[in-house]
Amino acid sequence: MFHQILLQIFQKLNNERTISAAYHILRGKRSGQTIQDIGLFQLHPFFGLLAKLPRPTFDNAVKLFSQYSWLDMQESGHYSLKKLGLQRAEQTPTFLFDGWHYRGNEHIFFARLSLIVQSLSYQNAGARSFSPISRDVTIQSWVRSFLLKHNYQDRHLQEQLLVECERALAELPQADPNKQLVLYRLSGHNLPGWTWQQLASERKEAVLDSQLAFIELLHTLLNEVHQKGYPLLSEIAEGLRVKALITDSAQQTAYLYEQGYSIEQIVQIRKLKQSTIEDHLVELAMYEPNFSIGSFVSYEEAEKVWQASKQYQTKKLKTLHEVVEGMSYFQLKLILAKGEV
Amino acid sequence: MELEQALAKYFGYTTFRPGQREVIEAILQEKDVIALLPTGMGKSLCYQLSGYILQKPVLIVSPLLSLMQDQVEELKRFGEKRVVALNSFLTITEKRYAMHFLEQYRFIFTSPEMLLQPQVQEKLSQIKLGLIVVDEAHCISQWGFDFRPDYLRIGQWFSQVNRPPVLALSATATEKVVKDISKTLSLNNPFEFMYDVDRPNIHIGRVTFEDKADKAQWILQHIKKTAGPGILYLSSRKRAEQYCEVLIQAGIRTAAYHAGHGAEDRQFIQQQFIDGELDWIVATNAFGMGINKPDIRQIIHETMPANVENYMQEIGRAGRDGQPAIAILLYSEGDEELAKFVVTGDLPTSGHVERYQELLNQHLQPSQMLKNGELSETAYRVLDFWLQQESVEQVKARLNQLAVEKYRAVDEMKKVTQTKDCIRAQLVGYFGQKLQKKPENCCENCGIHYDEINKVRLEEERKIEMISWESRLKLLLMGI
Repeated sequence: MFHQILLQIFQKLNNERTISAAYHILRGKRSGQTIQDIGLFQLHPFFGLLAKLPRPTFDNAVKLFSQYSWLDMQESGHYSLKKLGLQRAEQTPTFLFDGWHYRGNEHIFFARLSLIVQSLSYQNAGARSFSPISRDVTIQSWVRSFLLKHNYQDRHLQEQLLVECERALAELPQADPNKQLVLYRLSGHNLPGWTWQQLASERKEAVLDSQLAFIELLHTLLNEVHQKGYPLLSEIAEGLRVKALITDSAQQTAYLYEQGYSIEQIVQIRKLKQSTIEDHLVELAMYEPNFSIGSFVSYEEAEKVWQASKQYQTKKLKTLHEVVEGMSYFQLKLILAKGEV
Repeated sequence: MELEQALAKYFGYTTFRPGQREVIEAILQEKDVIALLPTGMGKSLCYQLSGYILQKPVLIVSPLLSLMQDQVEELKRFGEKRVVALNSFLTITEKRYAMHFLEQYRFIFTSPEMLLQPQVQEKLSQIKLGLIVVDEAHCISQWGFDFRPDYLRIGQWFSQVNRPPVLALSATATEKVVKDISKTLSLNNPFEFMYDVDRPNIHIGRVTFEDKADKAQWILQHIKKTAGPGILYLSSRKRAEQYCEVLIQAGIRTAAYHAGHGAEDRQFIQQQFIDGELDWIVATNAFGMGINKPDIRQIIHETMPANVENYMQEIGRAGRDGQPAIAILLYSEGDEELAKFVVTGDLPTSGHVERYQELLNQHLQPSQMLKNGELSETAYRVLDFWLQQESVEQVKARLNQLAVEKYRAVDEMKKVTQTKDCIRAQLVGYFGQKLQKKPENCCENCGIHYDEINKVRLEEERKIEMISWESRLKLLLMGI
């Protein structure tokens, strides 16, 4: 699954970025460049899927790809997918990740759920003490107040949670083994969970692939919970879906810009580089539908850039800068970010 | 109140375990105490009960965050609410709250690092503490295997304040380390209690191999034939994984356990082991684990650990239920070289010392060495501590000395692998004690009949099959 995801990302990046761009996307790097790549190449599902992905793991996969003749590596760190790689990419399934909205928060959801389930299971068994599966004190205190609020001692909570989990999981499009996977990461009284290694060997795949299947299931579960009414699960998922899609820093720039300050003035006020402030505006263009780029570029200019982009099959700034005369890189970024006219 | 009455009142127990009464009595007489008690033998009860009797706050300094968390949770489980852990996990608000109400807690846990903060020290000096506990006190000793420089600084703090009695606790220490603890903490003629290190129900086997490669074959055959539950210790994660794979292939229910796994996975393995779903755990020497399983029957060391203390602690996990258990130490020539390589691998080198000084001279942060992954955290701590007090040459000499000591500890362990006399007597003697009585099947040299201790492994343990997600969900939530 990891390889398929990587192939899809490389395919979407259209040979126009370095391989590191894919790495930053998977790690969820919050830099202007990565955020722009996400929007430009429609890579939202994959953002921040593996926040702790070690670089060697990533590099080994890339090395393998070039051994398979799926791609060519260039000295500059750029790559190009070969025919075989493109074919393979075409054969990959559609994934249901939603990294953009959850960004690793699915693990907080699962940590809460795990501790709730564990507590209820020990409570059923009449065992008063156990070592909590989550050592995180914020998770522990969150779960404690959740349990108290729902009078966990009268067994009503168990029943209601069971009904909600059954219903939500049944709705999900994934195959049963993937739902089983999630259930075996939960534990309870006399019901130890299974380690990633045990699960991966049962599923005959790599540990990383099992972990990705797990994340994908949590994303779809969270979206199901978000869209339909599941009172308990919604509460457990509270505050985990990212609402502000632009970074805090970009938000501050947006505020000043709306107050009527110029880019130069904002640079002065915020003591940041001009390029950083420009990146914030690009971010705004990408994610704020009401943000107009009209004061920086004209409609005609935007149209010209998009025509060129289509004609040359590229979103590479350098190429566009050469073929469309008189446009700055900042203007080009804004136009690409805002989307086709 | 009689001590027994207090024990029953606060903990519901009727009798003390060995050592507890002696230690508590000494504390109540306001003596400093050094108590060596093995893990899982009620070390923490010594200060907990003292705290209830004294009715004054007890300060517990603990070097390992995870350990601290365990103890806090244990107390809470017993229904004690007035307990707080002052450590880096607290948010600013939580810390402010805890500091404000500090004197109202009965048990205050803290880390050496936190204790060095001036505001924490000031607040503590205003409180009338009943007792100060230094847990894992062997970390104080630079000759110990887990040296924590911050512990030395605590010693300095102790000598300044007008302090209550100090209880230094450790699971393992030699006489030399005990002296070190006493001196560094400026203890006043302390009462020393040391548990009897001999565990008569653990029989001590030893097998020597001409060829290293024969070990693997022997282990596989042995584990196939004899019953667990058992722990197989190895020197590295990689080897642990390899052995685990081989055993699983042979149909033995096994899991590897080391620091490379996440906390959840480690807990799953412990629970599976305790619930009898696993027969063997393959672990690394370096990694201490909180497994509390009373019926472990076998401990096998694929190679010798770095020192006798580690060895005793590791074999001590067997037979906690008092029933016979066996520990088998495997040896082939040259094993000590590997052990020496491993123990000094973590030490800072003279190259590190120079680099640290060079960065300082350039007005750069030496801590970037840590960020760059040039050396381990422990190594950096040691380097940082000594270079703030001594010259480059002195620190280099000190590090050499440290390496020599570690080598010497390995050599002591090697003697255990070579001796032709009673192994048990030698191990006990290492801790300055004298063996009272040799049990039957005492050790390899006294004569040991393996088949009298090892039970035959019943073939085909039930393999655990997965059940459907719906069934597991019901089982977890409804218990049916």
